[in-house]
Amino acid sequence: MSRRETRRIEDESYRTWDGGYRRYDILKEATIALGVVTALVLVLTILFSTPDLAPSTVKSWSRSDPLDFVATSATELDHSSFSGSYGQPYNTGTGAVQHVWFIHLQQWLGISTPINSAQDFVLTPLRSLTQQPAVQQAVSTYEAASTSTRSGWTSAYEKALTKATVTTPGGVSVKPGNYGPVPEMMGALLTFAQSGGLDGALLASKQFYQTDYTKPLLFMADGGVLANRATTQNLTGSQWGMMNETGSFPGQVWLWLYTFWYQIKPFSTSSNVDALAMAIMIVLSTALVLIPFIPGLRDIPRRIPIYKLIWRDHYRTQSTNDV
Amino acid sequence: MSTVDPPTWTGKLRERLVAALPPEKLLPDRQPSYMASWIYVFGVLTLGSLVLIIGSGTILALKGPGWWHVTGIGHFFNSVHLWAVELFFFFMVIHLWGKYWMAAWRGGRARVWMTGVVTFLVAIPCALTGYVSQQNFDAQWISTQAKDAMNSMGIGSFFNLMNFGQMYSYHVFLLPLAVVGLVTAHVLLVRRHGIVPPFRLDAVGPVKPSGDQPGAGDQPEPT
Amino acid sequence: MVGAIFNLNHPAHMVHWHFIDLSVSNVIVIVLMLVVFAVAILAPFPRHGEGER
Repeated sequence: MSRRETRRIEDESYRTWDGGYRRYDILKEATIALGVVTALVLVLTILFSTPDLAPSTVKSWSRSDPLDFVATSATELDHSSFSGSYGQPYNTGTGAVQHVWFIHLQQWLGISTPINSAQDFVLTPLRSLTQQPAVQQAVSTYEAASTSTRSGWTSAYEKALTKATVTTPGGVSVKPGNYGPVPEMMGALLTFAQSGGLDGALLASKQFYQTDYTKPLLFMADGGVLANRATTQNLTGSQWGMMNETGSFPGQVWLWLYTFWYQIKPFSTSSNVDALAMAIMIVLSTALVLIPFIPGLRDIPRRIPIYKLIWRDHYRTQSTNDV
Repeated sequence: MSTVDPPTWTGKLRERLVAALPPEKLLPDRQPSYMASWIYVFGVLTLGSLVLIIGSGTILALKGPGWWHVTGIGHFFNSVHLWAVELFFFFMVIHLWGKYWMAAWRGGRARVWMTGVVTFLVAIPCALTGYVSQQNFDAQWISTQAKDAMNSMGIGSFFNLMNFGQMYSYHVFLLPLAVVGLVTAHVLLVRRHGIVPPFRLDAVGPVKPSGDQPGAGDQPEPT
Repeated sequence: MVGAIFNLNHPAHMVHWHFIDLSVSNVIVIVLMLVVFAVAILAPFPRHGEGER
C-alpha cells in the first residue's frame, strides 16, 4: 500500500466516531461561556476603562508649533512634502510608490483620491480669504510667476526656515531674502490655521456634509504634530507601534508577525517595505488557510505529540478497556 | 391512478439541509467521550466575546460615533467593546493553537479549519476599521500610517482609511456581516462533521463502520 | 477617562530585547496566552456521565 493510500485510509477513519458519548448541554455551555466573558469584560472595563486621547487639529498644530506648520506648508506649496510627491492614489509623484518584483499594483490602480498639495493645502484655502486683498495679491503674484521662479522662492524660504525664530504671538520670522510673496502667503495661512478656519476649509471643499478627513489628515501627517505625539505614546514603526495602544493599555498583539518584517533587514531599509510586508503576510496567511493540504506543516501535530496531553484521559481509558 | 408531484426547490433544499444537519446534530445533547479537556472551551468563549462585541457595538451605533467621547455611559460601552475585542482575539488565538495541535482538519474537516482561519483574517481588517473610526488621536495616527500599507498594494485606491464615512460603514455593517457569515458557516460545519476524534495510537488499519451517533447515516463528503 | 480604578493613561513601559520592543502590557497579554494555553491542556477536566453509547 502506498504512503498516500495509507494516509487516506487513516484520514477516513477520523470521519466519524463510533466510541462512547457523554451527556452534554450545548445551550448551557454557551450561556455559561457568555456569562464568563461578560464578567471578564466588565471587570476589565471597571479596572482599566479605555483611552481616548483628543485628536490633533490644524488649529492646535499651528498654535503649538508654528514653525513646523509653516515649514510643512512651504513644502506643500512646492510639492516636496510627503503627500505632495507621494504618487498613486493621490497624484503622479513617485516619492512613495511601491512595488513587489514586477507587480506595481499601486501604480496600476491609478489616482482615485486626487491631492494637489499646493492647491489643496495652500492656494485654495488662501483664495477663500476674499476679504484680505493683500493676501489675494500675494497669491496672484505667486500663480503668475514661472515654475522656476516659484521654485527659487520656496527653496530659499525653506532653507531660511531652518534658522527661523518663533515670534510672539505664535508667528515665524526669517532673515530677509528673495522669497517673493511666499512669506506673506505663509503668514496668512498660519493666521487662518490658528483661528481654526483652516480645519473647516480643508474639509468643506465641495459639499456641506463631509465624512472624509483625507486632506486635513494628510496635511498634519506631513508635519511633525502626529509623529511627535506618536513617539511619546510608543506608536511609531521602529517602536513596534502597530501592536501598541496609546497609554499603557494592551494593544493589537495579533499584529506581531506583520510588524516584525518592518524591524529586520532587508525590509526595514527598503523603500518597498510596506508592499513587501503585505506580500509576505498574504503568502503566510494563505499558507495558514491551506495547512490541511501542505505536507510537513500538517504533520507537525502528529510528530510533536501535544495531542497526547489533550487526549490523555481518552488514551488512558482506551488502554484500560483493552486490558 | 395516483400521481406524484415533482419535487419543489423548497422541498429539495429542505431535505438536503435536514440530511446535512438533523436536529440532533444541530442541537446535540451528547458529545464524544474524548472531549475531556479545557482546550475545548475556547471556541465557545470566542463566540461569547463576539456576542459582546456585537451587543456593545449595537449600542454604540444606536447613539452614533461621537457619543462615547461626551458621556460616561458612552465611554463605558466603548470600553466594553474594546475589551471584548481583546478577549475575542485572545480566545480565538488559543482556540487556533488548540485546533492546530489537534490537527482538527482531519477526517474531511478541512473546510472547518479554513473557515476558522479566514474568520481570523477578516476580523483583523474589521478591527482596523474600528480603530480608525474612533475619532481621536489614535484614529488619526493609525489611519495616516496604515494608509501606506494599503496604498502599496493598490488597496488604497478603493479603501481610504482617512475617509471616516467609508471606514465607519465597513466597520458597523460590511465587515461584521462577513465575520458573522463566516462564523456561522464555521459553526455549522463543526456541527455537520462533529469534533475531530483523537489521533490513533495504533498502526493504520481498515476503516471501521460508523456506529450509533446522531446523523451517522450521511455519506462522507470529499474534502 | 471615566471610572477606571487603575489609570493606564501614561506612556507605556517598554521591554527591549535586541531588536524587539514590546510594551509591558502586550508582554503580559502574550505570556498570559501561553500560560492559559498550557493550563487548558494540562488542567484536569471533570468527568461525568461517562460510558453512554
